[in-house]
Amino acid sequence: MDNSLWVKMHGGTTHFPIALVMASALFDLAGSLVPDNEGKSRCVGLRAAGYYTLILAAIGAFGAVISGLVISRWQLWGRGNLAHHHTFLWPAFGLLTSLAVWRLVVGNHASNRAFRAYLGAVLSTACLMGAAGYWGGELLLNN
Amino acid sequence: MSLEIKGAILGLIAGLGVLGATFGLSPVFQPKKVLETKREQFDPPVSLTTNAALTGEANRGIWLFDHNCTHCHGEDARGDEGPSLYNLSKSDARLRTIIKGGIKGEMPSFVKKFDDGDIQALIAYLRTLKD
Repeated sequence: MDNSLWVKMHGGTTHFPIALVMASALFDLAGSLVPDNEGKSRCVGLRAAGYYTLILAAIGAFGAVISGLVISRWQLWGRGNLAHHHTFLWPAFGLLTSLAVWRLVVGNHASNRAFRAYLGAVLSTACLMGAAGYWGGELLLNN
Repeated sequence: MSLEIKGAILGLIAGLGVLGATFGLSPVFQPKKVLETKREQFDPPVSLTTNAALTGEANRGIWLFDHNCTHCHGEDARGDEGPSLYNLSKSDARLRTIIKGGIKGEMPSFVKKFDDGDIQALIAYLRTLKD
């Protein structure tokens, strides 16, 4: 396939995991802060939104990583802005996969304490994703 | 074992597994040229091993090159997606114009990224790249 098509594909696919993991973190954070109404749980709805957006982010991340590897000729680190991009990307990718599997296994049965720990981890993942996206943008603009 | 612990163990395995697979499979798909470039890093070309002999300007050019140009021109400047930068015959003025304005459809403009001093430093470094 033409390399420029992979570049376009990476540009398209990469924004889904970034946006979705941030949305997931925000939904879950809101779910743990917003008080529940009697008989109508906002918390459950927000956590469900957080759950599905995280799973979609993890699935999307695979497309973004594969297309990114193709355009960087399977370089896992590189130099300059590419190295900065990868420094944040690999931990984010590993964490995102781990968190998605954890939520798939645990579902709605997490204790408050475990969910708070999860929330910290997903917020960290969102920050790492944002930083990886920033350096990816620098690559695009300056290279 | 609680569901949360089971999930954490499976999550850890999955996270490490995808990273392991990515890092393990990457060399299989890597084009031969990239692998050769990596090997050359342990035995860099003469022009890169004699940094001490270069002017301060050229040394600054190496840093600028590393952070902005290697993605297309290769880590050893011998070309990758972009052409090799060894033995350039273009004049300094022409190189300055290309770096500033780019080449439509081939190379981006660096006019916002580099000032005249940066471009001069880059050119000083490029002039050291000779076989």
